Amino acid sequence: MTATGLPFPGLRSGVELVPTTDQPQTGKDFTSDQEVRWCPGCGDYAVLKAVQGFLPDLGLRRENIVFVSGIGCSSRFPYYLDTYGMHSIHGRAPSIATGIATAREDLSVWVVTGDGDALSIGGNHLIHALRRNVNMTILLFNNRIYGLTKGQYSPTSEAGKITKSTPMGSLDHPFNPVSLALGAEATFVARTIDSDRKHLTTVLSAAAAHRGTSLVEIYQNCPIFNDGAFDTLKGADATEQLLRLEPGVQVTAHGHTWAHDPTEPDPTWQFALSRLDTDPHTPTPIGIFRQVERPTYDDQARAQLATARQAAPGEPTDRLAALIGSGDTWMVN
Amino acid sequence: MTYVISQGCIDLKDRACVDECPVDCIYEGPRMLYIHPDECVDCGACEPVCPVEAIAYEDDLPSESAGYLAINAEVFADLGSPGGAAGAGMMPADHPLVAAAQASA
Amino acid sequence: MTLPNFPAEIRAPQGTLPGVSSFQVHFADHDILTAGDAPDVLVAMNPAALRANLGDLPQGATIIVDTHDFTARNLTKAGYESNPLDLLGDANDPLGAFAVQPVDLTGMTVEAVKEFGLSRKDAARAKNMFALGLLSWMYGRPTEPTIAFLEKRFAKVEAIRDANITAFKAGWNFGETTEAFVVSYEIKPAPMAPGVYRNITGNLALAYGLVAGGVQSGLPVFLGSYPITPASDILHELSKHKAFGVTTLQAEDEIAGIGSAIGASFAGSLGVTTTSGPGIALKSEAIGLAVMTELPLVVIDVQRGGPSTGLPTKTEQADLLQAMYGRNGEAPVPIVAPQSPGDCFDAALEAARIAITYRTPVMLLSDGYLANGSEPWRIPEIVDLPKIDPAFATAEDLTEDGKFQPYARDAETLARPWAPPGIAGLEHRIGGIEKADITGNISYDPANHDLMVRTRQAKIDRIADSLPPLEVDDPSGPPGHGKAKVLVIGWGSTYGPIGAGVRRVRKAGHHVAQVHLRHLNPFPHDLGDILHRYDKVLVPEMNLGQLSLLLRGRYLIDAIGYNQINGMPLKAADLEHHILTHLTHLSEELRAN
Repeated sequence: MTATGLPFPGLRSGVELVPTTDQPQTGKDFTSDQEVRWCPGCGDYAVLKAVQGFLPDLGLRRENIVFVSGIGCSSRFPYYLDTYGMHSIHGRAPSIATGIATAREDLSVWVVTGDGDALSIGGNHLIHALRRNVNMTILLFNNRIYGLTKGQYSPTSEAGKITKSTPMGSLDHPFNPVSLALGAEATFVARTIDSDRKHLTTVLSAAAAHRGTSLVEIYQNCPIFNDGAFDTLKGADATEQLLRLEPGVQVTAHGHTWAHDPTEPDPTWQFALSRLDTDPHTPTPIGIFRQVERPTYDDQARAQLATARQAAPGEPTDRLAALIGSGDTWMVN
Repeated sequence: MTYVISQGCIDLKDRACVDECPVDCIYEGPRMLYIHPDECVDCGACEPVCPVEAIAYEDDLPSESAGYLAINAEVFADLGSPGGAAGAGMMPADHPLVAAAQASA
Repeated sequence: MTLPNFPAEIRAPQGTLPGVSSFQVHFADHDILTAGDAPDVLVAMNPAALRANLGDLPQGATIIVDTHDFTARNLTKAGYESNPLDLLGDANDPLGAFAVQPVDLTGMTVEAVKEFGLSRKDAARAKNMFALGLLSWMYGRPTEPTIAFLEKRFAKVEAIRDANITAFKAGWNFGETTEAFVVSYEIKPAPMAPGVYRNITGNLALAYGLVAGGVQSGLPVFLGSYPITPASDILHELSKHKAFGVTTLQAEDEIAGIGSAIGASFAGSLGVTTTSGPGIALKSEAIGLAVMTELPLVVIDVQRGGPSTGLPTKTEQADLLQAMYGRNGEAPVPIVAPQSPGDCFDAALEAARIAITYRTPVMLLSDGYLANGSEPWRIPEIVDLPKIDPAFATAEDLTEDGKFQPYARDAETLARPWAPPGIAGLEHRIGGIEKADITGNISYDPANHDLMVRTRQAKIDRIADSLPPLEVDDPSGPPGHGKAKVLVIGWGSTYGPIGAGVRRVRKAGHHVAQVHLRHLNPFPHDLGDILHRYDKVLVPEMNLGQLSLLLRGRYLIDAIGYNQINGMPLKAADLEHHILTHLTHLSEELRAN
């Protein structure tokens, strides 16, 4: 698959301005020489493998791809991909990616983050990135626990969770990342599961194709501190537990049944769907909740620059001389 | 890269590794278990739980087991990549070399 | 200066230009009393007042207009075809050379004195007191004498008395709660070099300097910033210069401001973030990231009174140690400080040069005094500005076996390669975790960490190799060989007051030397030698002795502080007294020995 063949034709592609290559690529081309150091059995391995396997499908030049992460287990991700990358500081990856994406239209920008990184310390940057609709794809690894700091509850942990910092049970009501993203007026919101490579790849393709901020929540198992958090959604018996969202599929929530439409501008019904997994008696939706078109911050910022440039021809040095020499001046001899 | 199951598994099939694998990529043949090299995500969860140390990372495979890298791959030639062992059921046959292997004493 | 013979009211009769009356209040300390002083502030109660007085104002003066009386009828009477206030901030703003503050003086006054039951006309008249209260706040004048005067003047008419006092206080409070009114102060007069001049404020010069940094390096400038007094004007100004390839992003918070700038730097722009002290505190972790990733970044701190929210509109230079040390771990950051409003231009360019050449965040310490102060500035010729070479890494930087080494170093500067995305073969990962020397891979090796900490420090120290020798102002002879035995050393905006103080001491027949620091980290190579050539070193600062501490620690000299932290610039007279006291002590000591 190349950049032009991505799903949802008609929308401007998220990688439209990124140079492509004719050279065949494989997952190996995207594998760096660094040894992967997550715990055995970690869901991050599956996501890494899926991403390494999927990136060649985009057909982009490797040197025009940037992965940015914050702090946490998942934030090691960029080190393992042979692209450009930055492993930054806790929670700030969306802001750094905003700078990269705004400065350069020719880059495919990805953020790798976790539930603590994105929703706790970095919550502000996440919602503002979604609101601005900067052209980037955010992979939010949600394992509902703090792994790197060894097992405290996270902002997505279920209330009452017994952890190292909450021996009598946690008191916090959890965020639902999909609901949060929809509330922040995100233009692309999806959910998938680490162990389902096919679904993960499909969602990643659509997210990359989306022009604007794509938020992909990935249910990711932490085998050490929160093992089995998503077991009911995995394996052969999970079919009834999962509601696989596709455009046009009939969905039922709160007594209403309707045909799911991720492109519906009004997020009301998409939000209603996102609330389903808070009820243990209803299936958990995975797939694309919302995908709507809205001008991106970075495209518009560049357009303003281009407009201003056209209106001011001439050499920069001449224009600089005119600028600093503007206003009332006088001569001293 | 992938993890590889070798001769220690033949006629043993402890299956502890199957329970550990987060992506369900360990498939069962009549005589032994096989790791699907395209579905394995290199996470290493299977390796320490094998009671006979029959699982190794491809780079760490002992020389006497070197052939099992190809065996684990070739056995899926017809099956392709089903994306999960649970739904695939028992494979119809072992790799010919495994099928022909002498039963361990 | 008190307010003798204070008239009851300042009434500009409604009407035509000749009908305008005015009253000039001159707040000053004696050092700035010069012949031909033009007013710093015009309070224009109507369009005619504005029109009639505009010609008397110097560029950069503040104009407070009462928007209430800028009606169509009054505009016509004054001969305006359109309301000049409608064009504020536009490219063809007729008042563009001034800092115009539209305020509904009448409306706010009437509201403030409502309880006294005056006629609307009488109530509105108290707007003069509102304006005076506002001016008193702006110039830090005491309120008690004015209130006492009003009590005496209107003793017989209780309602009028109380209304005037209330309006006066309301104006003062309005100034304090609105951060828009910031005062500019005069700075050290100097003999003027030949050239073309204009007036410029520090924040404007800083913005121009950053534009120049982009032009001279050929890099797009990316400013990520969150509004904060007194730095916001730099964001406002830079947002007008998109034609120069300047992107401005008003971020969701201070951290996102610097985060986006770091991202832009990684992507090959000149990343800049602007703030004041509280913002620096929030950005500290990200500055550390820029230190570790060794990316160019200009961090501008327009200092204000602290700690915490402190005094937003008052000046102070108490962020030096924060700039120097305010990060976790050994995270050295070069520090540049402009010494006058116009010098902010050169300082910004210098910060850009260091940031780009040495791949490092650079802290530029301006302050509220420089930011809003203005001075005549000799407009530089573009050919005289330094060129900055970004020297991006290319495919030719690969090793023989085709590897890119993001933490290999330039032999002279110790800078690492800057390799923005887009070049095949140079794909690499950087981050906040310790880097292995040369390869940049994650490394927890103890010896490597020791090496990298020392290397990062050595790189910053190398910057001193690129600095010109210090200029010591010592008319008595070469440093240490003349008659001057006392050296006064300062940094930043105290240049003007220290210079004025030193000149007064010399005028009184004494000898004293002055040196002023632009680079606070690293210090210039010759600083230690210069300090040791004098018997006494005096360090006036608008803090409790932060440069003194650095000089003492670095050069083991007895740096003697003169410290004032009242939100106001240092005063030449105070400095003169301080210097003379030490000259006397010194001669007594010499006699005793």
